[in-house]
Amino acid sequence: MIRKHIVYLFIALGVLSSGCFNDLNVTPSDPDAFLAEDFYSTSESYRQGLAGVYANLSLTGLDGPGSSNISGIDAGTSQYGRGLWNLQVLATDEAIWTWENDPGLAEIQRSTWAASNVLLRGMYGRTMAEVAFANEYLRQTTDEKLTERGVDAGLKADIAVYRAEARFLRALAYYHMMDLFGKAAMITDEDPIGAFQAPQAERQELFTFIESELLDIEDELLAPRQNEYARADRAAAWMVLAKIYLNAEVFIGEDRYSDCIEYCEKILDSGYQLAPNYLELFMADNNDNDATVEVIFPVLSDGIVTQNYGPTTLMINSQVGSPEANGADFGVNSGGWGGALRVPSEFSDVFLNGNYDQDARNTLITEDRTQSITSISDQSTGYIIAKWSNLTSTGENGSDLGLVDTDFPMFRLADVYLMYAEANLRGGGGTKARAIELFNELRTRAGNPNTVSDIDLDLILDERLVELYWESHRRQDLVRYDRFAGGSYNWQWKGNAVNGIAIGDYRNLFPLPSESLAANPNLEQNPGY
Amino acid sequence: MFRVLLIFYLVSVPALLLSQTVSGIVTDAQTSEPISGATVMLKGTTSGAFTDDEGRYSVTASNGDTLRFSFFGYTPYEVVVSSSSLNVSLEESEFSLDEVVVTGYGTSTIRDLTGSVSAVTSKDFNQGNMVTPENLLNGRAAGVSITTGGAPGSGSAIRIRGGSSLGASNDPLIVINGLPISNSAVGGSRSILSTINPNDIESFTILKDASATAIYGSRASNGVILITTKNGGDNLRVELNSQGGFSTLVNKVDVFSADEFRELVNEQRPDLVEKLGDANTDWQDEIYQDVFFQNHNLSIQGAPVKNVPVRVSLGITDQPGLRLTSEFKRRAASVNVNPSLLDDHLKISLNANATQELNRFASGEEGNAITWDPTQPVYDPESPFGGYFQYWEDNGDGVLNSNDLVANSPSNPVANLLQREDRSNVMRYYGNLNMEYNLHFFDALTAYVNLGMDDASAEGFVEVSEDSRVTQPNGEFLGSRSEYTNDTRNMLFDTYLGYKEEFDMVRVDATAGYSYQRFESTSYSTRELKNDLPSSEPVTNTATDLVLIGLFGRANLFFADKYLFTFSYRRDATSRFSQQNRWGNFPAAAFAWRIDEDLLPEVDVVSNLKLRLGWGITGQQDIGSAAADLYLARYIQGQPTSQYAFGNTTLPIGLPQFRNEELKWEETTTYNAGLDFGFFSNRLNGTIEVFLKESRDLLAYAAISDGSNFSNAGYQNIGSFSSQGLEFMINYDIFDPYTSDFNWNISFNTTVIRTRIDELALDQDVRVGGIGGGTGGTIQLHSVGYAPYKFYVYKQVYDESGNPIEGAYVDLNGDNIINDDDRYLHRNNQPEAQFGFQTQLSYKNFDLNFNLRANVGQYIYNNVNSSRAQYDLIQNIQVLSNLPTSVLETNFNTTPTVILSDHYIEDGSFMRLDNVNLGYSLSNLFGNRVNARVSLGAQNVFVITNYSGLDPEIFSGIDNTIYPRARTILLGLNISYQ
Repeated sequence: MIRKHIVYLFIALGVLSSGCFNDLNVTPSDPDAFLAEDFYSTSESYRQGLAGVYANLSLTGLDGPGSSNISGIDAGTSQYGRGLWNLQVLATDEAIWTWENDPGLAEIQRSTWAASNVLLRGMYGRTMAEVAFANEYLRQTTDEKLTERGVDAGLKADIAVYRAEARFLRALAYYHMMDLFGKAAMITDEDPIGAFQAPQAERQELFTFIESELLDIEDELLAPRQNEYARADRAAAWMVLAKIYLNAEVFIGEDRYSDCIEYCEKILDSGYQLAPNYLELFMADNNDNDATVEVIFPVLSDGIVTQNYGPTTLMINSQVGSPEANGADFGVNSGGWGGALRVPSEFSDVFLNGNYDQDARNTLITEDRTQSITSISDQSTGYIIAKWSNLTSTGENGSDLGLVDTDFPMFRLADVYLMYAEANLRGGGGTKARAIELFNELRTRAGNPNTVSDIDLDLILDERLVELYWESHRRQDLVRYDRFAGGSYNWQWKGNAVNGIAIGDYRNLFPLPSESLAANPNLEQNPGY
Repeated sequence: MFRVLLIFYLVSVPALLLSQTVSGIVTDAQTSEPISGATVMLKGTTSGAFTDDEGRYSVTASNGDTLRFSFFGYTPYEVVVSSSSLNVSLEESEFSLDEVVVTGYGTSTIRDLTGSVSAVTSKDFNQGNMVTPENLLNGRAAGVSITTGGAPGSGSAIRIRGGSSLGASNDPLIVINGLPISNSAVGGSRSILSTINPNDIESFTILKDASATAIYGSRASNGVILITTKNGGDNLRVELNSQGGFSTLVNKVDVFSADEFRELVNEQRPDLVEKLGDANTDWQDEIYQDVFFQNHNLSIQGAPVKNVPVRVSLGITDQPGLRLTSEFKRRAASVNVNPSLLDDHLKISLNANATQELNRFASGEEGNAITWDPTQPVYDPESPFGGYFQYWEDNGDGVLNSNDLVANSPSNPVANLLQREDRSNVMRYYGNLNMEYNLHFFDALTAYVNLGMDDASAEGFVEVSEDSRVTQPNGEFLGSRSEYTNDTRNMLFDTYLGYKEEFDMVRVDATAGYSYQRFESTSYSTRELKNDLPSSEPVTNTATDLVLIGLFGRANLFFADKYLFTFSYRRDATSRFSQQNRWGNFPAAAFAWRIDEDLLPEVDVVSNLKLRLGWGITGQQDIGSAAADLYLARYIQGQPTSQYAFGNTTLPIGLPQFRNEELKWEETTTYNAGLDFGFFSNRLNGTIEVFLKESRDLLAYAAISDGSNFSNAGYQNIGSFSSQGLEFMINYDIFDPYTSDFNWNISFNTTVIRTRIDELALDQDVRVGGIGGGTGGTIQLHSVGYAPYKFYVYKQVYDESGNPIEGAYVDLNGDNIINDDDRYLHRNNQPEAQFGFQTQLSYKNFDLNFNLRANVGQYIYNNVNSSRAQYDLIQNIQVLSNLPTSVLETNFNTTPTVILSDHYIEDGSFMRLDNVNLGYSLSNLFGNRVNARVSLGAQNVFVITNYSGLDPEIFSGIDNTIYPRARTILLGLNISYQ
């Protein structure tokens, strides 16, 4: 009897075991994880998905500022705006970073970068991830998918605008790729997800893509100043168009200044206005103080709900001087990041030698400091600045003393004023009178009594530095003026020399990161690297 | 632990004073079979007798005389005569070809093994204060390297033949009584083995080559360690094992003393002299403590009911750590019941364990202590921070908050330790029920079922005192508190059939079966409880379940006991991969030729000579619980700190995750050739072995074509990797154990492994080896054609007198720019050769043993010096900072210019005396029922090395301060009653 039962028991166990193969089909168990179809099962999800595409400009990951969906680089440093800042600002005469232990930074500020530089990999990866996120959003919101999921007509209409914004963000990412690297893998929502090795697009092709995409979505985007804060409207698309036209000679060797004027004019007439107070543009409450009227496209930061080590957190903590420990003046911990950033003497010369003694934009702190940065590791050499702040316009601290609330103004109206003036000087049309008037409006807004009666390109370049420093425009400006690579203009530590030396012209473009190059053999390295 | 002898004897006649005839039976302790031809000698005389075919003997002796029983292949045994009937069972000696070895899904004997298998049984374990099980065998087996941290109960990096993966796990599979355990410990526990009581372990079997491991297919690429726990016996036996001792710090990083530091500041930075304090503090002394530890184990075994042997054990370990507040306590209970029913046809083995692990973790303050200004005191009566000195200055705004701290100043390391309470309480229940039914109607067939479970849950909290200088985001000194729970569970169901039959010339031993295992884990954290910001909202993380299913079969064929063949096959599926990729096939084959039986049966000197050849393919899929479902189209919703806002509305965001539907098994093919030899009745025995392992389709975390996925990198099957090695082991009893009172056994092993990356993702180098100093720097590189983890550094230029020139490097690519492209691959972090040496001496009641371990040809990046020994660092923004004295040799000033110099790559070869143990045994006390042994031991006695840092035993090869390994003196007492 017993024997029989034992035999049955073993047979039963054998049968039982074969039924377990289905257990191999697992699903995510985490409360925050969803299969794609489950995620897009609610009407809010389309807004949340779009917020994800925007958020990649600000957040590095999904679990606080130390998390990252990009590899090969420190999480905080992989932030989109931070990468842009390192390449557009630190690579120029606008700043010197003290802590050269941080991988890649010394190479960037000493103009010795190589394809293996981790900051390049971070920026390339982050920017192309933006393309991937936008493409995924477009894939998930096709008419077919929406109908399949039973999305109603009202929501579909909203989603049509969301889709246009996702395309704007994709075009913006390609604009940055075109500017920094001069090429990119051209990958759209038609392409598969995985390890697809997309074809390489050179600057001309990227230019055409960006231009046609922006023109295509122009009407689908909401009218200027009609969208919610932080979402792109039509003026944001015009801004990118104006930018590519202004730099068209660099990008594609074509004179498109008149197109630049056209789009600058559209923006100038769109209802955006200069903020009454220059410094309020860079404060903790710049998402709802009087300065919002000027900001065309911000990237958000919040010490509580949108935590990141992006450009505003970087700049505010780093502009804190050492030994000054003046962090309390900017609403952060008194020591900040220990005097991480100072400005080379060529930068302070623009202020000291120009008519900027009385000017809100001149925030130089010079006391007990040498002007020249003779030693990068000595924080008391070089002047420091005080443009950015985690204080609100009413003087309150931001919500956190480390991670700031200050949004980064990626595009703002004052830039358009100077773009108009420059495009006019470069023969793009418009009127010089209007150019001078716009120029003087900026000085007046900054409380600078020295208005001018004539302008030239050099003055525009200086004024762009004064108005827009540390806003991630400088490298592009210097390249357009042919003062970046080569030896026509040198600044401290350019070429790894204390007072700067010439560097190869090929350095007007950054090299494609070696990892990216290897992962997609269709890409070809830029000449010189 | 002392040499375990299982001795059973019966006393049937009262003691007599006069000489008498003593008789009895000598049997094998394991099998209870009689031993014929055994020698029974009256000690000190030449008189004696041999046992007959039934193991019977008869000699004349007086009470009080000592009889010595010995037989070839068994450990001799002496007993004082106290009765006329004396039955003795002998334990097999150190090395016997008939020793039973546990293999996967079955057992074998050393004689029958065809694969590369090392067995270490309790009599060979390392002796001393072994807190975690793996230390019992450290240095004992060729091809097995174990690097254990300094924290009490700390985990180890265990590598069998160097591992075989780059991106996936290199940890061996650990199987306890047939239950494979997860390679990640539950959060809050020190390690996967810290909850296992070493005292309950009977043996380890290490399966090294694929022909031995392939039966575990999917998880066998890195070798398998089978742990078998002790079982009960039929006779009552009670054993108490106690140890106590103390541990001290051996060595400190050389930094400037307070007076030397004053001198240094005066010399180098006279502008900073005013910042010097008046105290004389050695901060490294201050953060460590001398500790007393104790360790007690009680086990009772016997058969309360006939045929139901039971073993119960209790273990207590209290092991404080060298770092102030660090502590590890373990309470372990274990029950084994092994009833044998239906005339031994149904054997049931139940093994149940419950362990509690109580920890207090101490944060790593080494780096902080090395650099803290030695002229500042530890305590300051004026300090508002609980009486600890801190850098602060009242800013006069009427509130004490973070703005009163000196900006960017470091926090007192002693306060950091004493003001922080980081505790966990881990409960782990594991065990299995094994049923084995030998079919009544078909004797050759046995059916097995093994049900196993391993359930661990941890609760813990981290509390930082309100008196500390830890602030909340608003700048208030509120301290900090968070709590967590973590749960993991692993469930196993195995069923298989075994077939054993002997034919004329062929013995067959075959197995076929099915295995199912599921792993679950979830964790919950309250996050910060001292504020209610979104960043402090509780979070639950649940890993996607991992399910592994295997179908396996193995056949062993023995022809005339001379030609041995093994074939095995396993088909495995993992839930980690998509439906089309989840199944993998893992075959293996081995052949062994018993040369001694075949060609030299008459040669007495040669007692064993066996050639073994093996081949097999094994798999790997362990890329961590966070990568359990990469093939699925997943979205993750951001945490409350990672939201975005449109207008005035804050929105949770959802983002797609890296996806790879193509992921599949990483496969390793192993070739193995070995020669086992034994001479002079195996008094001299050993093994020499060579192997080649080739892994392909490596599961590598590598760059992926940008824009095509939702990250710039992720897991892919790219690359291949190979390793080849040589292992040699020899063991020798210098004196004939059958004739001498003096026993001296020496054992030596060596392992030489060469690894090489054969292919990487599109030939792309991979940066690895994060370092301290700066944010995100790396010092190692995977590059094709080289060993993994080679150091990637600049080539230092030296002046004529041999001093390094700061920042001067060789422009290796000759482009006149020194940048990242000028770094080169230099030296390996893994040893070229590893050696283990053990010896055991015994004379009469004394025994002495020690073991030495050495690694040769390994290099270390001295990150302690590279990131700290530069004069610029004397000024740490607002305060002073101490430096390693090695700065005097380099005279370097600026960290970033030198941190990646090859000057900091040092030879890390070493030889360590791990343990010394001296014991004295007292046998046959109190009516022969009690045996005892007292011992005195020392651990980590010395290290011989040229490495300038604290300790050259650093698995990663990057020394950025470690938890120091203590030197330990201990006293042990073992009492057994039977």
